[in-house]
Amino acid sequence: MIKIKKSDFNTFINNLQKNYSVFAPVTDSKATAFKKIKSVGDINNNILNTKRSPKEIFFPQSEVLFQYTEKGMEVPKWEEKPFAIWGMRNCDTKSLLLLDKVFGEAHQIPKKDMYKDPYWKEKYDNCLVFNIACNEPLSTCFCNWFDGGPFDKTGSDIFVVETDDSYIFEAVSDKGKKFLNDCKITENASDKEIKKIEKLKETAESYLAIKEDISSLFSKTKEIWDEPIWDEIAAKCINCGACAFVCPTCHCFDVSDEGKDKKGKRIRLWDSCMFAIFTKEASGHNPRSQSTQRVRQRVMHKYNYFMDNYDEHLCTGCGRCVVVCPVNLDIREVIKKIISY
Amino acid sequence: MIQNLRMEVKKLLKDKKVDIVLGWEKGSLPLSSTPLFIHEEEDVDRLIFDETCRNNLTTYLTKDKRKLGKTYDKIGIIVKGCDARSIVLYSIEQQIKKENVVIIGVPCNGVLEKKKILRKTENKEILESKIDGKNVHLKGRDFDMIIPLNEVLCDSCLTCRYPDAPVHDIFIGKPRKEVDIKDEYKNVIDFEKKSSEERWEYIKEEYSKCLRCYACRNVCPACYCNECFVDQNDPQWIGKTPEVTDTIIFHLIRNLHVAGRCVDCGACVSACPVDLDLRIMNKKVEKEVKERFDYTAGLDINEKPAMASYCENEKQDFIMG
Repeated sequence: MIKIKKSDFNTFINNLQKNYSVFAPVTDSKATAFKKIKSVGDINNNILNTKRSPKEIFFPQSEVLFQYTEKGMEVPKWEEKPFAIWGMRNCDTKSLLLLDKVFGEAHQIPKKDMYKDPYWKEKYDNCLVFNIACNEPLSTCFCNWFDGGPFDKTGSDIFVVETDDSYIFEAVSDKGKKFLNDCKITENASDKEIKKIEKLKETAESYLAIKEDISSLFSKTKEIWDEPIWDEIAAKCINCGACAFVCPTCHCFDVSDEGKDKKGKRIRLWDSCMFAIFTKEASGHNPRSQSTQRVRQRVMHKYNYFMDNYDEHLCTGCGRCVVVCPVNLDIREVIKKIISY
Repeated sequence: MIQNLRMEVKKLLKDKKVDIVLGWEKGSLPLSSTPLFIHEEEDVDRLIFDETCRNNLTTYLTKDKRKLGKTYDKIGIIVKGCDARSIVLYSIEQQIKKENVVIIGVPCNGVLEKKKILRKTENKEILESKIDGKNVHLKGRDFDMIIPLNEVLCDSCLTCRYPDAPVHDIFIGKPRKEVDIKDEYKNVIDFEKKSSEERWEYIKEEYSKCLRCYACRNVCPACYCNECFVDQNDPQWIGKTPEVTDTIIFHLIRNLHVAGRCVDCGACVSACPVDLDLRIMNKKVEKEVKERFDYTAGLDINEKPAMASYCENEKQDFIMG
């Protein structure tokens, strides 16, 4: 394990910027989010969970799929390659793996020849992910329910632990190994520091709430699909899309054509199953016209349908939805309610 | 007060005067509450009322949103002043039959704006909290803080003239005495003084934050259209992107649509996940309605809506001549 002193952080990022576009947590007028930084001064390393999740780098809220004029059609190119993301947390790096099951190819089971989304792939394949351990998880974090953790490395290329005076790096993927070999950091972390990591990990885990056993969640959701419990769960939901739009794993989208005269474009836009229009058909019929049906859909997609398709829950326990819900409909309580039903 | 409130609610349920009562219970996060729908007497003890009860529950009354599991003949609802004014609005606009709703007023000292509190803690997480009559006590991992209540109340509460339900069937507790508010429109007046370029810059900057999650619209008691114009796609009225050119149309049209109807309950401001300043334009429109028609929304159940009535001696200076 190698390390850099915190006092060398600026140099490290400056060097990184020579070969990579660098994205990192920033605070701007649009709330905390992962943004491309101009200089190291833009980075805010004190944010634990950004309000907007980093999925928007790979899957922007609005993305032009192609545009046309009378001369022809063109597909916009992603201009930031290769790029690095500094400061992701485990819940977000894991969400990339989950989204890649849908858009990418790396984990597509069972159908190898499924469609690969080129817009996702060209970004995901060219990205170097730095995952910083969470020394102080929030009270809304529940990554441990989904076998993640504040010091879990899943989904990252390079795992970083922040100590009092240093950042300690560990290569996780081949891409990460290559980066650490090629970069000119020579200082090794001492045994004492490596021991310190264990200590930090223990403290961080002690901040998390008790892990809920969710092993029955999948089967339970299937059993209760028709039960009145959904009315109870959904009653207070006001059907806004705040939860889905801050969620690092929600990935439903709408496609919209915008055109005038002889030019136009096709755009892909985030959508949410919470909206009534989401399933409205051309005939006017809406199979999910009721709020209860829509809330059930979101919960089922996360904890049942995705499991059916890909063997994982579509939730990493980041807790963003818990924080933003205007009526405090806490997904952790929904899960507990379902399990104990 | 809370014991009397619980007793009253129990009585209403026992006597079958109502089928359900809408109130609040303690939420899952510090300084939060969450809507509580009481069907059984045994649930009444979960009922609370304090400065964390910010949700305007009347939004659950309108037909599009009435999804409390099923529809009810008689609904009891616990209201702050602003909430009661929303019910007046529903009644005037014929969205509810007043006789089907039992309005239970409670004395409101204002509700907390969590975003203001987080600004005070510099976004550090609050782990424990306590409210006494004057202060909010906060505890985090490495801080202890006591903040005077009036520094962290919603802006709407700080300029509220009607903390007690102007219309109610039952009132529990002691009503607050008349509130003297002098600078209700101070923000609007300051805003009006800016140049049009400055105003445009501010509005553009604010509305460019919008995520289009529609939390503002969906918590709003005045927004109950069966189909909102942003959801119509045949024909499509506005673009669907989060670009400010699209979001601004949504927000400005919503502003005008709630003209003379907005009761400044602050639900939209609290609900917005990206802290957009939704209030300035609503308040501006409210001020216009007040000056032109001498109308305040939600006070008189027999009044006609400001935008649906006409009077010959109204100001007509907008007609170019």
